[in-house]
Amino acid sequence: MKLSLNWIKKYVDLPEDLTMEKLTYDLTMCTVEVEDAVDLADSLGGLVVGKIITVEPHPDADKLRICTVDVGDMAPSTIVCGGINLTPGQLTVVAKPGAMVRWHGVGDPVEIKPAKLRGVMSYGMICSSGEIGLEELFPASREAEIMDITELGAKPGSPAAEALGLKDIILEIDNKSLTNRPDLWGHYGMARELAAIYDRKLMSLEKSDLPEGSGDLGIVIENPDRCPRYAAITFKNIKNVPSPFELKSMIWRVGMRPINLPVDITNYVMLATGQPTHGFDKNHIKGNIHIRTAKEGEKLELLDGEVLDLTTADLVIADENNPVALAGIMGGKLDSILEDTTEIILELANFTAMGIRRTAKRFDIRTEASSRFEKSVEPQRIDVAIAVAVNMFKEYFPESEIVGLVDSYPLPLKNSEVEVSLSFLSRRLGKELTAEEVIRILDNLGFKTEARDGMFHVTAPSWRSTGDISLPNDILEEVARLMGYENFDFIPPKVVLEKPINQRKVEMERSVREYLAFRCGMQEIFTYPWIEDEYIEASCADTSNMLCLSTPPSPDESRLRSTLIPGMMKGVFTNLRYFDSFRIFELTQVFADKNYHSINDPAEQLPEIARHLCGAFVGPDPRFLFRQAKGALENMHRAVHMEPLSFAQVAARPLWADDKLWLNIMYGEESIGCIGLISLRSARKAGIKRSMTVLFEIDVEKLLPLASRQNRYMRLPEYPCVDFDLSIVFDEKVAWSDIYETASKVELVKEVRFIDEYRGPQVGEGKKSVSFRTRICSNEGTLTSEKIEMITKQMIKKMSKKFDGNVRGA
Amino acid sequence: MFDELKEQGMEKLAESGLLERLEKLKKAGMDKISETSLPQDLRTVRANLVGRKGELTEVLKSVGQAAPELRKVLGQAANEVKEILTQAIDQKNEELINCASCFEGAADITLPGVDFTSGGLHPITQMCYDLNDAFRSLGFEVFSEPEITSELYAFDNLNFAPEHPARESMDTYWLKGHDEESGAKRLCLRPHLTGASVRYLQQHGAPARFVYPGRVYRNETTDARHERAFFQYEALIVDKDFSFASGKVLVKTILDKIFGMDVEVRMRVGFFPFVEPGFEIDMRCLVCGGEGCKVCKHVGWIEVMPGGTPHPNVLKAAGLDPAVWSGFYINIGLDRLVMMRYGVDDVRLFHSADLRFLDQFK
Repeated sequence: MKLSLNWIKKYVDLPEDLTMEKLTYDLTMCTVEVEDAVDLADSLGGLVVGKIITVEPHPDADKLRICTVDVGDMAPSTIVCGGINLTPGQLTVVAKPGAMVRWHGVGDPVEIKPAKLRGVMSYGMICSSGEIGLEELFPASREAEIMDITELGAKPGSPAAEALGLKDIILEIDNKSLTNRPDLWGHYGMARELAAIYDRKLMSLEKSDLPEGSGDLGIVIENPDRCPRYAAITFKNIKNVPSPFELKSMIWRVGMRPINLPVDITNYVMLATGQPTHGFDKNHIKGNIHIRTAKEGEKLELLDGEVLDLTTADLVIADENNPVALAGIMGGKLDSILEDTTEIILELANFTAMGIRRTAKRFDIRTEASSRFEKSVEPQRIDVAIAVAVNMFKEYFPESEIVGLVDSYPLPLKNSEVEVSLSFLSRRLGKELTAEEVIRILDNLGFKTEARDGMFHVTAPSWRSTGDISLPNDILEEVARLMGYENFDFIPPKVVLEKPINQRKVEMERSVREYLAFRCGMQEIFTYPWIEDEYIEASCADTSNMLCLSTPPSPDESRLRSTLIPGMMKGVFTNLRYFDSFRIFELTQVFADKNYHSINDPAEQLPEIARHLCGAFVGPDPRFLFRQAKGALENMHRAVHMEPLSFAQVAARPLWADDKLWLNIMYGEESIGCIGLISLRSARKAGIKRSMTVLFEIDVEKLLPLASRQNRYMRLPEYPCVDFDLSIVFDEKVAWSDIYETASKVELVKEVRFIDEYRGPQVGEGKKSVSFRTRICSNEGTLTSEKIEMITKQMIKKMSKKFDGNVRGA
Repeated sequence: MFDELKEQGMEKLAESGLLERLEKLKKAGMDKISETSLPQDLRTVRANLVGRKGELTEVLKSVGQAAPELRKVLGQAANEVKEILTQAIDQKNEELINCASCFEGAADITLPGVDFTSGGLHPITQMCYDLNDAFRSLGFEVFSEPEITSELYAFDNLNFAPEHPARESMDTYWLKGHDEESGAKRLCLRPHLTGASVRYLQQHGAPARFVYPGRVYRNETTDARHERAFFQYEALIVDKDFSFASGKVLVKTILDKIFGMDVEVRMRVGFFPFVEPGFEIDMRCLVCGGEGCKVCKHVGWIEVMPGGTPHPNVLKAAGLDPAVWSGFYINIGLDRLVMMRYGVDDVRLFHSADLRFLDQFK
C-alpha cells in the first residue's frame, strides 16, 4: 500500500524535527513494515518549467520545429523538438543541458547534453509526459504530444516537481504486515496511528450538514450477516468531467489512475478513509436497491468488461430487475458512472470479509475494494466516509445537490471490551508499569479505559473492534509496542535443574545417520514424500494402501510414499548421469492408508506412520555391493547402541529384487526389512543402466535403543595366538555359513574370518575358491609349530570330508 | 704410546714389526671409516676391521706368537686400536643414521594427501544437529510429530480464522478423500511445525522447553527461492509469566550458533495468528554492519525469523491456563539459513539428491 506523506499531514501535525528515517523506523518498530520511502521530487530531478516563446519550422526536417524557450535563464534557449502541439505561450517541462534526468521517472539519471539535430544546435529537451513517467497524470491524446502544463501557471525555470506540486514522500507499506490492521488502510487511519505514536492531535473529520429524508430511494438488505450496513447518497447536477490537476495528482501519487471527477472523488474517499465506495448512475437504477445473493443463471458485466456467471453464493447489489454490482468487489459496467451521468447514487456500504473473500477468489478478482473488505472493515467507518464524500462533492461540484440519504444499519457492531489488570501487564512485560502510563497509551490509540479495583476495563475503538482486539494479550501488545520493544531489557529465563535430558530414541536416529555417513561412506539424501508413478512401477510397490494428495504437485505425483524404495531408485537414476559408483541413504517418514490411530485428540485419526531407512550401494560388482550393504547393517548395532541385526530368507522376495541376491533383515525374530540387488526388470524400468545397485530398507521405528552399552571387555590371551590362511576350492553351491560353522568347531579355533572368494578358469567350472583366516589360541602354553601344523591339517581334512573341498593349488 | 715403548729401549718390540702393523691398520681403518657414506658399507667396514674375521683379530692372533714379555704390551696396544676404531665406527654410524633415509629412491612431497572423507550428512541435517546441540546445552528436549496432521492441529488449535487463506488447497496439501471433512477429520501434510507444539504440551504439560525441527509442505509454484517441501526449526518455552523480553534467548541461541558470534537483534511488530504479541525478528546486517547495503536493502537489518508469545487460544488448546502460563516461540527456515551459510542460490537443490551438490558439504 502506498501513502502520501502530504496527505497524512492533512490530518495530523507531525513533530517538526521528525526525519523520514525516524518516521519509517518508528512505524516499522511499532506498527507496520515500511518497505520504502520515495521522494517524488527525486524522480523529476533536473526538470524545469519552460515557456515556449517562438515556434519556427526546421529548414531540413518536416517533423521538427525550432523553438525558443524561456527556461528562467538570461536569454531564451533554442530547442529543437518534434512535438506536434507546440504553441507560443505554452508552459511545458524542459530538461536543460547538464541536468540529470531519470527517463520515465525510474532508473539511473542520465545527463542531458547540447546536440545538433539535422544541422541545428538544440540546448535541452522539451518533454512528453511519457518520457518522465507522468503519462497517467498528463495523458497524451496523440503520439508526439509534449506535456502541456499551462493550466498550472508556473514560473519559467522553476523546478518541475514544485510546479506540479509533487514535493511529496510516498511511503510503501508491506501489505502482509497490515493483515490484522484494517484500520490502517487509508491516510486517515495511518495519521491516527502516527498521532498516537508521537502523542499529537488528530484532526477530526466532522460530519457535514446532512439532509433529512431519504429521497425516493429505498434500501433492502436481504442478507444482513453479509452486509451489516448500507448507506446511499443521491447527488444531482453532477457532470462527468476530468478532475482538476490537484485531485488527479493526489490519487495518482498513491498508485491510482485518474479517470473522471465523480469516480476520482469516490477513490479519494476510499484512499482517505479506507472505506470503499461506488457510484451508480441514478437513471439506471430501477426502484429500490437490493443487497441480495445472486439468482441462478444471473449474469453481470463488470466495469472491466468481464462477464460473470454468478452463483447463488455471490452477494450482489441489484435494482428491482438486475444485479448492478458485485458487492464489495466491482461495479457493473452498464449502470456505474457513465459519460452522460448527471445524477449519481453514491454507495457507502459494509460487507463482511468471508463472503467477499470467497467471491473474489471464485472469480479470481482482486480490487482495491475487495482487498480492504477482506480484512474486515468496521461499519462505523461509513460515518467518516460520508462526511468526506459530501465535502468533496460540495467542493468540486458546487452546483450539485444532495437529494437523498438512506442509511440502513441492521447489525450495529459492538466495540470490543477487555478486562486486564495492571499486575498482569507488569508481570508479562517484565517491567513495572503505572496506571497513568497504560491509560495514556491506550487513550492515544483511541481506547477508553476505566480503572476499577486494580482492573482496567478497556473498550476498543470501533476501528479496532473487528477481531484484532479481544484478549488481555492484545492490550499487552498495544502497550508494549507503543512503549517501544527496544526499550525492554533482555531478562534471562530462569532454569530449574530437575533431571538430565535422556532421549534415546531421538539420539538413535541421529547415530544411525552418523554411522552410515561417517563409517559406511554413505551420503544422506532427501527426496519428496510424493513419489512418481514411474518409480512406483519400477519398484513394484503396492499402491493399494498408499495415501493420495487431493491436489498433487503433478498428476503423476499424487501418491505419498509407503516405502522409500521408489524415491531411492530415482536418486540412483539421477546420480548415474554423473557417477558410476556411490552410496546414498535416506531416513524419513513413510505413510500407509491403514491402522488409523490417535496420538493426542481421540477425534483425530492419523494413518500409519513409520520411519524407514533406505540405502543404495551402486557400483560394478553385484556380489561385492551386496556384501558391502550387508556389512553396513551387520555392524550397525555397536555404533547405534542396539541389538544386532541378522539376515534370513523368511518372507517372500521383495518384488524389485534379483532372485539370486536378497535377504530379509531380522531384528530378533521379526523381519523388519530387506536387502537385495535391483532386478534386471526393475533397473530397466527405473532407467538404471550400466552400474549395479543393491538396496536395503528397514523400519527404524522397530529398533529399540539399549539402556546402556552391553558389550563386555575380554581378557587378553596369556599366550600368543597364531593365524593361518587357507584357500580351499569348493563346489559353488557350498555356503560360507556352513564352512564357517565347521571351521569354528576345529580344536583351539578362536576365530574364522572370510578373506575373499574367487571364481574363474583357474578353479574350474562350477567351483569357487574361498580364502579364510583362522586364529588359534591356547590357554595352556605357547603353540608349537607341530601343534599348529596338526591343526592346519585337521582343518583341511574337515573341509575335504564335509564339503569335498581341496586346498587350492595342491 | 709407541714412542714411549721405544724410549723404554724395547728394541725387540720394534723389531717384531707388529706395532707398525697396528699403526698402519689404525690409520687405514680411520681413513676407510671417514670415506664411508652408507650404513650398509659401514657394516662391511666394521666386519673387515674389528669383526671376528677382521684384520685386527689377525693381528691379535699373531700377538700370541710374540715373545712373552712383549705380549702384554702388544695386547694392550691392539685393544687400544680396536677401541679407537670401534668408537669411530659407532660415531660414524650415528652420523650416517642421523641423516639417512628409510627408503631408496626419490619422493614427491607435493602429491595430495590421502582422502579420508567418508559419506556425509545432508547440509540441512547438519544445521539441524548444530542447533539441537546448542538447545540441548540449554536443557531443551527434541520433539517430532508425524508429517501428516489434521486441520485441528494445523489450524484450529493455532487460532487460524475459519476462513484463513492458508487453509485453502492452494496453500496446503490436503489428503484425498478428506475434502468434505473438517477439523480433526481433515488430514493434510503439515504446512508448518507449530501444530507439534500443542501435541507436545498436551503430552507433557508445562513448564516446557523444547525444539521440534522438521519438514513442512506447501502447495506452491517452485523456483529458485520457493519449494514445496522445506525445513523449519521451531523452539518453544512455556513457563509462568514468561516475558517476551526473555524470548530473546531463543533467538540468540540460534544466531550465535550459526554465525559464531554475538549478533545484534531487534524485535518489531509482526502478525501471526498463533502469537500475541507477535514479532518479526531482525538481525544486524553482517555484510555492512548496519550501514546499509544491497543485502539488507539499505536498512541495516535483515529479517530472520518470526516469533512471539503463544496466543491464549493456543495455550487453551494445549490444555494450559493462559492466565498462568506464557512463553515464547521462534520459527526459522532451515533452508534459508543453509542457503545463507553456504551461499546456495537454488532451494530446489536440497531435494535433488544430486551428489555433485551434496558432496560439497562433507
